[in-house]
Amino acid sequence: MLERIGAKALTCVQHAGHAGILFTATMCVLPHPRRYWSAAMVQAKRIGVDGLGLVIVVGGLSGALLAQQTGYQLSSMLPMSLVGGGVVGGMLTELGPVLTAIVVAGRTGAGIGAELGTMKVTDQIDALVTLGRDPVVELVVPRVVGGVIAMVPLIIVANFAGILAGWLTAVSVLPMTTAEYVEGARSYYHSAALIFSMVKAPIFGFTITFIASYVGLRAEGGAAGVGRTATAAVVSIIVAIMVMDVILAPVYKAVS
Amino acid sequence: MIEIRSLKKSLGGKPVLDGIDLDVLEGESLVIMGPSGTGKSVLLKHIVGLFDPDEGDLLVDGMSVPRADGHTIREIRSRISYVFQNSALFDSLTVEGNILLGLPEGHCRRPDMDCDKLVLQALEHVNLEPDVLRLLPAELSGGMTKRVALARAVVGHQKYILYDEPTTGLDPLNASKINELIAHLKNELGSTSVIVTHDVDSAFNLADRIAVLSDGRIRALGTPEELRSSPDPGVQRFLDPTSALAGSV
Repeated sequence: MLERIGAKALTCVQHAGHAGILFTATMCVLPHPRRYWSAAMVQAKRIGVDGLGLVIVVGGLSGALLAQQTGYQLSSMLPMSLVGGGVVGGMLTELGPVLTAIVVAGRTGAGIGAELGTMKVTDQIDALVTLGRDPVVELVVPRVVGGVIAMVPLIIVANFAGILAGWLTAVSVLPMTTAEYVEGARSYYHSAALIFSMVKAPIFGFTITFIASYVGLRAEGGAAGVGRTATAAVVSIIVAIMVMDVILAPVYKAVS
Repeated sequence: MIEIRSLKKSLGGKPVLDGIDLDVLEGESLVIMGPSGTGKSVLLKHIVGLFDPDEGDLLVDGMSVPRADGHTIREIRSRISYVFQNSALFDSLTVEGNILLGLPEGHCRRPDMDCDKLVLQALEHVNLEPDVLRLLPAELSGGMTKRVALARAVVGHQKYILYDEPTTGLDPLNASKINELIAHLKNELGSTSVIVTHDVDSAFNLADRIAVLSDGRIRALGTPEELRSSPDPGVQRFLDPTSALAGSV
């Protein structure tokens, strides 16, 4: 039993060490954009433009759900204008960034993990090394920078879709008017919430693409290994996003 | 010249290479043979610095691979091409993109370099037509994939070419064509070749010298003729498994 716990702990320490080495290597490349910029733009398009539809759908549905639930909870106690405030506050501070991150983790994180994992098990990473190329420069940094860039507009779009869908739901399902929704939204809107949402975007973008790249580069065991890698990438990213969100929440409270 | 000195490596606690001493001479074709799982590919990966040995040293043109700093390892790798067992072409790049990767980074940005010409020459070396340049690896047959991998290995005119099981997964006709190509490339380009294989016919056709690896050690080393007349029953059993089977029956 103790032996097993010790082995697990050792594995965790090893992962932390390897991730730290990859993080340092990534940071060392970042000040040299000429080496990765064009590849990063390709990745930003792949992550951002290709994931836009899904982010709009999920953002819109979460705004609609938030409006309905807020309306049902408040209907007999408080003014309905609070629905607008609930949707705006909820979308900007939590649902917009977190749900977008989870969507991108499922779509892009799994994709990066599987892509790099396949490259690893088919010797393409080793081939890159023997050809004198650095996998961090060629594969990791473009994905990380692309993810950081793409997450900002994605979260803006998710917030907008959620607030818009919340309004549509409020005026069509709940006993309230557009004026009440807007009044509530304006009363409870803080610019700090918007800024906080935009601060989370690059942090989540980095987390998703970095973890997916790290897990992908450590894949082993053929096709089954690649499948396990994609799953591990998504699970690790979602856990990391939730942990970071919990850590960031008191920071927002202190700032706002 | 490649010098391997008392090289030891364990993987997963199991010794794979157990004190290898071997020289690869300039311009020769050295074939490394041995049963599966005896560390042939692991040895090859040490030469290019993909593995670090537990003990011993490995020198390429006098430069130690395990002790090389970033600049030196880049210099060593710029002298070596590696043909992987499964070709390891990049799925997202066309044939042209894959072959261009065989040239040093930034080479094609130099105004005096005609990279299109170099790519076409490499294709000619491996008997492929220019119309494959726009294809993706997924659109190629097994034999063509190997040829593109060979083209990538020769486009930069590196001094050493390492082949890891170059005919694995090919039918006998394609395997024989790839062997002919390897021999042709050696004669035409004058490169030093290290070829890992367990195909005995390929080995005797391609080798100037053959090293037989067994239990992590060099069991025999010599010209094909010397190995054929080796008194070592282990070597004979490996070189002619059918006679060994007949003997056991």
